[in-house]
Amino acid sequence: MSGIMGLVLAQARRDRIVLPVWIMGIALLGFAVAGAVATEFADEADRAAIINVAAVSPAFLFVRGLPDGTSIGAVVFFQGYAFTAVLAGLMSTFLVIRHTRTDEELGRAELIGSVPIPRAASLTATLMLGAAANLVLALCVAAGFAAAGLPGPGAVTTGAAVGAVGAFFVAVSAAIAQVMPSGRAANGAAAGLVGAAYFLRGIGDAFGTPSADLTQVTSGWVSLLSPIGWGQRSRPFSTADPAPLLVLTAAAAALAVTVLVVRSGRDLGASLLPERAGRERAGAGGGSFLGLAWRQQRPTLIGWCLFAALLGGIAGGLGPVVSDVIGGNESLRGLILRLVPGSRAEIIDVFTTALLGIAGVLAAAAGIQAVLRLRAEEAEGRAELLLATPRSRARWLGANLVLAAASVAVVAVVAGTGATIGLSLSGVVNGPPGLLVAAALAHVPAAAVFVAATAVLFAAVPRVSIPLAWGMLAGGLVVGQFGELLRLPAWLQDVSPFRHSAAMPVEPFDPAAALTMSAIALAGAGIAAYLLRRRDLTA
Amino acid sequence: MTSAADPVVDATRLVKTFGRTRALDGLDLRVGPGEVHGFLGPNGAGKSTTLRVLLGLIRPISGTARVFGLDPWRDPVRAHRDIAYVPGDVSLWPNLSGGEVIDLLTGLRGGSEERLRRELIDEFEFDPRRKARTYSKGNRQKVALIAAFARPARLYLLDEPSAGLDPVMDSVFRRQVQRVSADGATVLLSSHILSEVEQLCGRVTIIRSGRAVESGTLAELRHLKLTHFRIEGADAGLLAALPRVQGVVIDGDVAEFDVDAADLAPVLEAVAAAGISGLSVSPPSLESLFLSHYSDSTGQVL
Repeated sequence: MSGIMGLVLAQARRDRIVLPVWIMGIALLGFAVAGAVATEFADEADRAAIINVAAVSPAFLFVRGLPDGTSIGAVVFFQGYAFTAVLAGLMSTFLVIRHTRTDEELGRAELIGSVPIPRAASLTATLMLGAAANLVLALCVAAGFAAAGLPGPGAVTTGAAVGAVGAFFVAVSAAIAQVMPSGRAANGAAAGLVGAAYFLRGIGDAFGTPSADLTQVTSGWVSLLSPIGWGQRSRPFSTADPAPLLVLTAAAAALAVTVLVVRSGRDLGASLLPERAGRERAGAGGGSFLGLAWRQQRPTLIGWCLFAALLGGIAGGLGPVVSDVIGGNESLRGLILRLVPGSRAEIIDVFTTALLGIAGVLAAAAGIQAVLRLRAEEAEGRAELLLATPRSRARWLGANLVLAAASVAVVAVVAGTGATIGLSLSGVVNGPPGLLVAAALAHVPAAAVFVAATAVLFAAVPRVSIPLAWGMLAGGLVVGQFGELLRLPAWLQDVSPFRHSAAMPVEPFDPAAALTMSAIALAGAGIAAYLLRRRDLTA
Repeated sequence: MTSAADPVVDATRLVKTFGRTRALDGLDLRVGPGEVHGFLGPNGAGKSTTLRVLLGLIRPISGTARVFGLDPWRDPVRAHRDIAYVPGDVSLWPNLSGGEVIDLLTGLRGGSEERLRRELIDEFEFDPRRKARTYSKGNRQKVALIAAFARPARLYLLDEPSAGLDPVMDSVFRRQVQRVSADGATVLLSSHILSEVEQLCGRVTIIRSGRAVESGTLAELRHLKLTHFRIEGADAGLLAALPRVQGVVIDGDVAEFDVDAADLAPVLEAVAAAGISGLSVSPPSLESLFLSHYSDSTGQVL
């Protein structure tokens, strides 16, 4: 037993930064949502209005969750629980896979396996760490809600619901780790299950039955297939029923025990699904920088595209509902209009514009990530193999920049297409076909500036380029997208490229700004190539 | 343009620092055309840094590096046209299969020779279908070696290439070096394994703390060293008292000592004159030279 405690401490030490960041981040998100609801919907009538609309809108129910009364706590739970639970699930997933399948794949588990402790000791330690992390998370979420002034029992039940979902995914991920052959595949599969849990809950809620006064919804049976759905059934701010949470925890414990038995009976490094054999020969383009970049970026790009399609679909599908709601809520109307300043357009357009702006950020993120792959290649020693061939660094950079730019455009098109489909499914014909795709594409020049800036960072300060590039995007997002909301000074807002994108369809397309930003991006690419030529490769 | 006699690799007074560490401290290295040149030194002596400078991946602080007469930093693409490189620590793309990585690396150099590629995969008993993340160190090394040898080059830069290979695979590797050498290619082989260098290389440069401490043919280096004598017999102790004898150890009627090459004749005369009952003479091994340079750096014989 002392051996296991030692392993728990060792694993906790490895996670001493990342776990607190997850836990505090999730708790702060809950606190922020609670604060926002308390100020934006201080009036009971406002809350009743939004809940009444939500209760009869399947799209709204799908995205958010179950309305459960019109108290502030209930609205906060409705707004924030599903997302918070997804985050708890992802935290648990990455925690477990990191210490199990990834360690096994990289050979670290072999060292642990050689000391005199039971075969499943390391997995036991990880399960204990996961349980402890979710316990702390539950306490922090409850504390955040309580600090925001929500009633105690509801706050504690919400914390317990989030923690129980997290604990369930600790056990699920441990099972996935037995099945998948690589850490990457296991992370993908387990994160996919978290997404599926959100999706199934959404289906169940969308087909739920609203109560007569439209303040509550009883979700359909499908949500019973989802741990997030079970957590939701605790209804913290009405009945505060712990029974569904106990079921969830018991299921997690049973699954964990099963997984421990499986682990005790299998070889180190073995997995239920074997590693698939690869191809014997490279396909077309497999002998070029561009082909390699495409091979490496493809799975990630698919992920970004799914995300963009979902966001675009939500923008389109929810647009009509939101415009109805907001039409009746003057303060929210003002808030939304501040996102797109200087216009008094149709609320529905404003809403899609704002969400497509976020899609622009998503596109930029996909591009930044494609460029930062260069840094990973360099730091992990693979760039050395590539650059010992008779190909220049400029070509290496160029191939990856071409792919990054293409990723940006593809993600934008997917988001725009998703919005178009969502809108037409909800029965609204708004503007000419292709308008929303064009609106999403209008953000491409700004995203390209971020891509080029990332390339300059990679060439100039390789060692810190990864955090700086993501920090830059976060800064650009806050300043450019929410600058007006936060009432930042105009000059500061103007620093962000997003600020100079035409907010279509509300604003007309601005060719001058788009051309200027494209020129800046091209110049940045040139500077990056020049700087990269003049520095050492650094690990 | 380079003439036939110009060195393929010509590095003069290379200096490279990383922070406070002086990785290269005035290194000289010259490799002539067609040579198989051993580049020997302990870990951390600067072997990999030298190869990276020769590839133009990093820039020396001072000194000049020329490969085929070209400055690899200013003109890496032309310099690399005829170079095959195997890094010391081979890191691959985890989601690509071994075969795909080989095609990628040879493709960037202009494409592999199909026959060579097939033969190498057979000889190295390599499974090209597995994903790179499942390869052991030895298998990753094979990927880099196959990619290097599957397309002919005029210069092979090999950084500790046989690390992780078993003896059978090591002999496959040595055959490949001999094959490309017979075709007239130049090979620079860094290693800390002496026997490998003794078997393959005609010339050797020994590097320690970023500086070349010895350079020459194996015969020349052997010449610098001492022949070891072991003598049994009553008068062994008397022989040990000869003036040109070094490192004497006497154990009963057995004496052991070392003699410099220049002093062999008088010592042998004295040995012949003495009444001895047993004699063994060991040729100079590169090992003794190597160890003497190694031990300087660490303060003790390894």
